[in-house]
Amino acid sequence: MGKQVKLRIDGQEVQAPAGMNLIDAAELAGIHIPNLCYLRGMKGIGACRMCLVEVEGLKAPIIACNTKVKQDMAVHTRTERVQEIRRFVVDLILSMHPLDCVTCTKSGVCNLQEYAYEFGLKESSFSRKKFTYPVDEGNPFVKRDPAYCILCGRCVRVCKEQGTNVLDFMGRGIESKVITANDMPLHESGCTFCGSCIDVCPVSALREADREKKGREWEFSRHESVCMLCGCGCDITVSTKGDLIQKINAGSRSPSTEQHFICTYGRFGYEHVDGGKRILSPMVRKGGQLQEVSMKDALEDLAGRLKKAGKNTGFISTASILNEDAMTLQRFSGEVVKTSNIDSTASLYARPEQLEKSQKAKLDKADLIILVGVNPSQWTRVLPALDVAVRRRLSRKGRLITINSQETALDKLAEINLNGDEIQAVQGMIKSVPDHGIKVDQKLLKHVQEASTDKNMQQAAEMFAGSSNPLIISDPAFFDVASNLAWIKGQAMAMPLESNARGVVLMGVKSKDNTFQDMAAVEHGLVQRGRSTVKLLYAVGDVPLSKKPDGVDFLVVQSSSFTGLAREADMVLPAATYLESSGSMVDYLGQLKTVEQAIEPRGESKTHRDIFVQLAKNMGATLKKPTFSEVKKAAGTEVILSVADMSRKEAFQETPESYLQALNAPVLETSRLLWLKESGMT
Amino acid sequence: MPAMNLQDLQSIREANRHRVEFTRNTCLMLCGGTGCRSTGSLEIKEALQKEITTRGIQDSVDVVETGCNGFCARGPILVVQPHDIFYHNLTLQDIPELVQEQLVNNTPLQRLQYKDPVSKQILPRQQDIPFFAHQLPWVLRNRGIIDPESIDQYIARDGYFAAARALLEMTPGDILQQMHKSGLRGRGGAGFPVHLKWKYASEEKSPVKYVVCNADEGDPGAFMDRSILEANPHSVLEGMLIAARTVNAGHGFIYCRTEYPLALERVQTAIDRAREYGLLGSDILGSGFQFDLEIYQGAGAFVCGEETALMRSIEGGRGMPRPRPPFPAQKGLWDRPTVLNNVETLANVPLIILEGGDWYAGVGTEHSKGTKVFALSGDVRNIGLVEVPMGTSLCSIIYDIGGGIPGKRKFKAVQLGGPSGGCVPAEYLDLPVDYEAISRAGAIMGSGGMIVMDQRTCMVDMARFFMDFVQEESCGKCTPCREGTMRILEILDRIRAGDGVIQDLWELEDLSATIRDSSLCGLGQTAPNPVLSTLKYFPKEYEDHIRNKKCPAKKCTALVKFRVNADKCTSCGLCHKNCPSGAVHWKKKQPAEIDPQKCIKCMLCLDNCMFDAID
Repeated sequence: MGKQVKLRIDGQEVQAPAGMNLIDAAELAGIHIPNLCYLRGMKGIGACRMCLVEVEGLKAPIIACNTKVKQDMAVHTRTERVQEIRRFVVDLILSMHPLDCVTCTKSGVCNLQEYAYEFGLKESSFSRKKFTYPVDEGNPFVKRDPAYCILCGRCVRVCKEQGTNVLDFMGRGIESKVITANDMPLHESGCTFCGSCIDVCPVSALREADREKKGREWEFSRHESVCMLCGCGCDITVSTKGDLIQKINAGSRSPSTEQHFICTYGRFGYEHVDGGKRILSPMVRKGGQLQEVSMKDALEDLAGRLKKAGKNTGFISTASILNEDAMTLQRFSGEVVKTSNIDSTASLYARPEQLEKSQKAKLDKADLIILVGVNPSQWTRVLPALDVAVRRRLSRKGRLITINSQETALDKLAEINLNGDEIQAVQGMIKSVPDHGIKVDQKLLKHVQEASTDKNMQQAAEMFAGSSNPLIISDPAFFDVASNLAWIKGQAMAMPLESNARGVVLMGVKSKDNTFQDMAAVEHGLVQRGRSTVKLLYAVGDVPLSKKPDGVDFLVVQSSSFTGLAREADMVLPAATYLESSGSMVDYLGQLKTVEQAIEPRGESKTHRDIFVQLAKNMGATLKKPTFSEVKKAAGTEVILSVADMSRKEAFQETPESYLQALNAPVLETSRLLWLKESGMT
Repeated sequence: MPAMNLQDLQSIREANRHRVEFTRNTCLMLCGGTGCRSTGSLEIKEALQKEITTRGIQDSVDVVETGCNGFCARGPILVVQPHDIFYHNLTLQDIPELVQEQLVNNTPLQRLQYKDPVSKQILPRQQDIPFFAHQLPWVLRNRGIIDPESIDQYIARDGYFAAARALLEMTPGDILQQMHKSGLRGRGGAGFPVHLKWKYASEEKSPVKYVVCNADEGDPGAFMDRSILEANPHSVLEGMLIAARTVNAGHGFIYCRTEYPLALERVQTAIDRAREYGLLGSDILGSGFQFDLEIYQGAGAFVCGEETALMRSIEGGRGMPRPRPPFPAQKGLWDRPTVLNNVETLANVPLIILEGGDWYAGVGTEHSKGTKVFALSGDVRNIGLVEVPMGTSLCSIIYDIGGGIPGKRKFKAVQLGGPSGGCVPAEYLDLPVDYEAISRAGAIMGSGGMIVMDQRTCMVDMARFFMDFVQEESCGKCTPCREGTMRILEILDRIRAGDGVIQDLWELEDLSATIRDSSLCGLGQTAPNPVLSTLKYFPKEYEDHIRNKKCPAKKCTALVKFRVNADKCTSCGLCHKNCPSGAVHWKKKQPAEIDPQKCIKCMLCLDNCMFDAID
């Protein structure tokens, strides 16, 4: 913790870290300073003038959002003078804002409504003024209604800071307006529909396109969970009413806006839980056709088969299942079925050690980010939250080096791009580091003796040497070589494509004998070729394969959607989605995050762990579901880096785009995300 | 030309001295400022040259296009040097006769000379004309003397010798000391001490710093900065160079509005010449100091004159102010320490370095030192650019220099400081030009706009004009300025339309006070000033509009009905002739009559009536 400052706010003594602004400091003491344009974590812009407070010794009121705490400062947040100004501001805004709180969906969480209530303003004392701007509703995601806009600029700032840069102000004075370039509708503006603007809008100017009539905010139950659709594993807040998801917002667990982001998939993909491809009951292939059977019959049948197959059974799982499911699976396979054939899709692009050795890191503490072989992009929808997090870090404090054999979306923001072979580039950098006053162990230097360096690599090395907290984020394939940089300084992380790749491996779902490739008979990604090494193949989760591998006698698919693989299965078991399960996961930064169940599992579907426990029972064994402390222990393995080999290990030839699309195919095809594909906007 | 040193500079000065002291040829100093150009001075220049060539005297006569002479009301203006003979209101037809008389016959052409409006005497020499005689041209010291496009002539007037001293003989501390002694305060409006700004920026530790010149002059009726840039661009460059040396900045920007094409052209020429002479660039005058600058053209948003919005605009963003602190001196352009001064402020700097801070502080009042340039306009005889010592009374500026109010009309008020300023009524005419004194009177010094108003000005209408301006130019960022100014405008419109109620006055005061206290930047904080000052000095006029539904100045057309006073009407028919809408019925030998249905209240009848017969 940094230096602490003591001050008084409304007579109350408050201790706050030096450098904190008054709004946040007051919040520590439970005092709310009204504001309409402030966004935690971003610089105060002083636009709304609601946060004006009086400070003893100063003549004029000052804005709390842009004033830092000072030792012995005495702040008064509710003086007559500032309350008068606030009342005036709300009065002015109300004169141009629809007074339809009775039907407005934002009612109850609307900041303007809250302050109007505080001041007892039923309506404005000024005459009503209205512009008739058209409503932008040309897309199924975000509805933009300028009539409600109070011009606080939050959406503009969020959109700009995250680099999407679609919104800005146009016009002056009273005719100011938030627009896209050339005032085109969002779907013609380059918008990715991530909906960050919805999350920050204090009123109802930006809302989910289908938000109306879905319910009032106070009717919703909220669930703090995690999106499991890609390697970013973003925090989400799921709002439900009845047993239906009404909307998903970026999670509120992280107080700073820096990591407060979810993408279009995370926000709008939830409809797949009730989508047309959902598996609602167990099915068994009879006479070439999959036919519904009872869960009891299916599991009894399967228990017998597993017993018989024993060592010839193979378990393949996706790397987006929860820790608890993964650990149960690992125990089930080893202790009950007694096979060592277990692996996850993570092994398609990473070796277990690469994910295990990936370090814990804090992105918002990094002053230099080095991206090795990863190309996150909001626009190609590959790891969009990482793209946003990097852009936000850069806009606050931080520099970027990209190392990639191809052009990346972040190249333009990087001070140095090392194009060409990633491994050679990192080696060249390491070789140059000692020239910039940093000692590098001979053990490591020996590995890079042969490397050649160029001016760019030297500059990158200089920047690396000069940074105090570098963070190296690499594609798992380059993690070994990239981790050598972190061996000198900073932290290194492997960035997987799937949300819980790290967790799944840490929970023990990793190859001990036959690999995923062996069991699924795939090469270089998802190309299916050759014969499987197992007789009974048990696929857990929406495994993105399209056909039953040759050589497999009996295929069990335990998933939530009819994937290509499920269609070819001999038995299909309905699994709960992440929105229907509780548990935990480990995100790319190494944080263990809890996943909260938002809705009941659909149909007869059950969590993976429940199915395994029942199967074990049927097989005459007892299988214990892991406790949170067991999971925590497994996830918290301390990582000590050592000098790693310098060569590329994996041959994963799927592009991140195609792999993620295959992985999320059910979500993309059975939710409004389909619109993206249909309008050619993926 | 290779990089210069001090000796080179000195020899240029010697070689060109004759051109600014007019010791060789007769020089026809023709004003080429924007004002005179608009009345045809460029054609006159051509005609002069042609005429001179025809008469074969081109070797002994030079035609020089100068920057703004200042007496804009009388343009085009020609001053014949070295005799200082002043000609005004020239037309193309005058040129042959003028050349013949003045240059060939050596007798002044009296009909084009200045005649004192009171004594009716001809005042041949420029320096004897009251408009000039009461001025103290420091910033405008080179007006009418040099060709603004000639760096040599600027050097001949000791140009760049202040920079040379600052670079070669003085430490930044020395410069700051002289600036401190001079008491120079920002001429952009707020009057912040220049030496403090520079000191703060010089104390910042940053490898990159900037010097920015604010030439985004946007007040209605103001043209001081434009004229300085047009007439003496190098003085601004030199000021920036000295500022850069003081704070150790390497790069500068002149933020000038696109609507000033001539100023932009002349500044660009000045920058090019200075670069050629090595007065910008690396190792300036052999000092090892490096500084260069460029022009950034603003698109004419008034708010971009606010320093943080200006910097945002240079950075390529939308010109919107941001809260301070941090101040530009700490975190300015691209978050680097930045010195930001306006044109006139910077043009003062070389003089201070050359003559010393003490000398500079010898003129002025206790807290306002040196001189101030004003753009005198409105209902005054001598519209133009004037520079007076601080402490000069408004009365002296308006009457001695400005020649008073034309016609028999009475002085009503003078508006100072543009949209951020206020009106000063007749009782305050003794007010000296001094930051604090003007501010106490409810106006601000501002950048130098001075609009004189006579009895025909309606103060409600005037306040509305500025309010309309401000609400259109509000950037829209902060709520009070964006929506509050619009609300003030609504009330003023209501009052002007005759729909005002007395509560409106209280509401105006309330609104104004709250907007002033709660707005983000200077634009919003000062926006209500025109309303507040007119409410303060002319409450009766507002009440007349509201209670009696009358506009005493006959400006608010909704409140005015035009009627012919039959007692005064001489049936001359002028009103009938001038009425564009056929509303005046007139027959010979009968008083005219105005049809209120047809009248469009254009006031042409009123303006044209010679017998004051229209009520």
